[in-house]
Amino acid sequence: MSDHTAGPEVPVPAEQGDFIGLVPAPIVGPFRRSWAWFDDRTGITGLLYKGLYEAVPKRGGWAYTLGSATLVVIIVQFFTGIFLLLDYVPSVTNAYSSLLYLRTDDLFGDWIRGIHLWGAYVLMLLIGVHALRTFISASYKKPRELNWISGVMLFFLVLAMAITGAMLPWDQAAYWTATVVTNIPHYLPVIGNGVRTLWRGGDFVGPVTLTRTFALHIWVLPALLLGLIGGHLYLLRRHGEFGSWVNYRTTTDNPSGEIAERIRHAEPPYPTRGSEPLYSVPSETVDFFPDQLFKDTVVSLVLVVFIFVMGLISGAPLDGPANPATLTYVPTPEWFYLPLDQLLVFFPTQLVGLGVFVIVGIGATLMLALPFIDRNPDRHPIRRPDVLVPAFFFIGTVIYLALLGVNRLYNL
Amino acid sequence: MVRGTGAMAGLITAMLSVPAVGFLLSPLWASTKEIWVTVQGGPIDDIPEGLPTARIASVPIGSGPPAPAVNRIVYVTKYQGKLYAFSNICSHMQCDVHWEPSLSLFECPCHGGLYAITGRNVGGPPPQPLPQWVHRVQVDAQGRHHLQIANRLEEQI
Repeated sequence: MSDHTAGPEVPVPAEQGDFIGLVPAPIVGPFRRSWAWFDDRTGITGLLYKGLYEAVPKRGGWAYTLGSATLVVIIVQFFTGIFLLLDYVPSVTNAYSSLLYLRTDDLFGDWIRGIHLWGAYVLMLLIGVHALRTFISASYKKPRELNWISGVMLFFLVLAMAITGAMLPWDQAAYWTATVVTNIPHYLPVIGNGVRTLWRGGDFVGPVTLTRTFALHIWVLPALLLGLIGGHLYLLRRHGEFGSWVNYRTTTDNPSGEIAERIRHAEPPYPTRGSEPLYSVPSETVDFFPDQLFKDTVVSLVLVVFIFVMGLISGAPLDGPANPATLTYVPTPEWFYLPLDQLLVFFPTQLVGLGVFVIVGIGATLMLALPFIDRNPDRHPIRRPDVLVPAFFFIGTVIYLALLGVNRLYNL
Repeated sequence: MVRGTGAMAGLITAMLSVPAVGFLLSPLWASTKEIWVTVQGGPIDDIPEGLPTARIASVPIGSGPPAPAVNRIVYVTKYQGKLYAFSNICSHMQCDVHWEPSLSLFECPCHGGLYAITGRNVGGPPPQPLPQWVHRVQVDAQGRHHLQIANRLEEQI
């Protein structure tokens, strides 16, 4: 016990000594002694230090808050999802009534469900804006190709989470979502019927459909999601936040000397390995803590407040119980699936397979392959019209399809 | 040593894969039990010619763990001397089709599929006719006709 009481004997590196005020030397008092004990055994201080004091670009920090906000909302989804599991019963006979119980008898149960739904809505938008920001600033270029690809895969996983989650309440909306969504794979050539049978557990949507979808939503997809998030963050820290072209301007008439100077004084994780010299170190950097973390926290707070408020005042709808024998129910997809749903209208008869798989497949491949399609080293959006113009045409088409879907389903 | 470790790891993977993959794929070779039920609402003798009439049948799924029977729509349709037992399952995305009197067509609310009274797909994206339940007619002692359906569709959709 007496080992750690005397200050001079405890080796605390100077820069760690004033680490966010937690472990100033000499180590006195029970909290600091416990911290030092724990740190000796885990290296937690060094880990936190590395996490918090890495350099990020100084300018434009508000634009770089979207990734961390996405992470925060995903964490909200994990926690509210775990809470929902405390009540939810994944069976065709009990799923709906368990949510009715949650609505009527469980304190804040419906609020939790509302947060889970609005969290999903916000997550969709956030990922979209995060991807758009990354795209416009060309952050996906060498050596960050895999950051982009893992991000696109995360987007697909979140879409899959949304569609599997929508089937679980086993109300009318869930039942008809399950029917339409599990029917889509059947238009795949050769394996289509098999995939539909496997997902449904038979010819019709039934008890197995719900348990299989539940397993996907609760275990399979979240496990993949967590793994990919880990990889995405690791790659972010390995290559550093790119920022955008504004962080790499040179201001003197000797740009190569200026860049060499930047590289010489770069702080970890810069200079970015594998990058062209011009883009390997931002012109000015700050530590992630406290500047960037402050901005990240502000944005996350605003979004979480919005999700909590909408979860309370708007909540999550619950239709009547699943009933295949309805003649009046009009199944409508969630807003983020409207573009796909509209494609289903456009492709008649034997072209359904083409419409769904070829077009969506091409879109997905283009998104994944973007870093290899766009090999122009320039990062400034004005000088990249060859990718920006087609991309905005693509995004415009997706939005137009969604609007057509809204018009068709809601007669606005 | 390295080769042995690799071989053992491969054996572990293979051992675990056989039951896991078989379990995953089991619905592919599980057979659906064919179950017949009588359509509710009594005999079909007074169903008018040319007007598809929705009846309910409570049909077990026939696959998966035990679950309560599911109510299904049977559009009992008499047209030009023929009897049809249409489902309300659209051949496009399996949404809930209904008979629309103002159009004299079956209409699907999802993507606007249209079917004639004979079930023929006449508009919108549906690639095939409106599927019918596998069905048969039974005559009772009073000479009235009762419709029975099985828990599967006549057409593969």
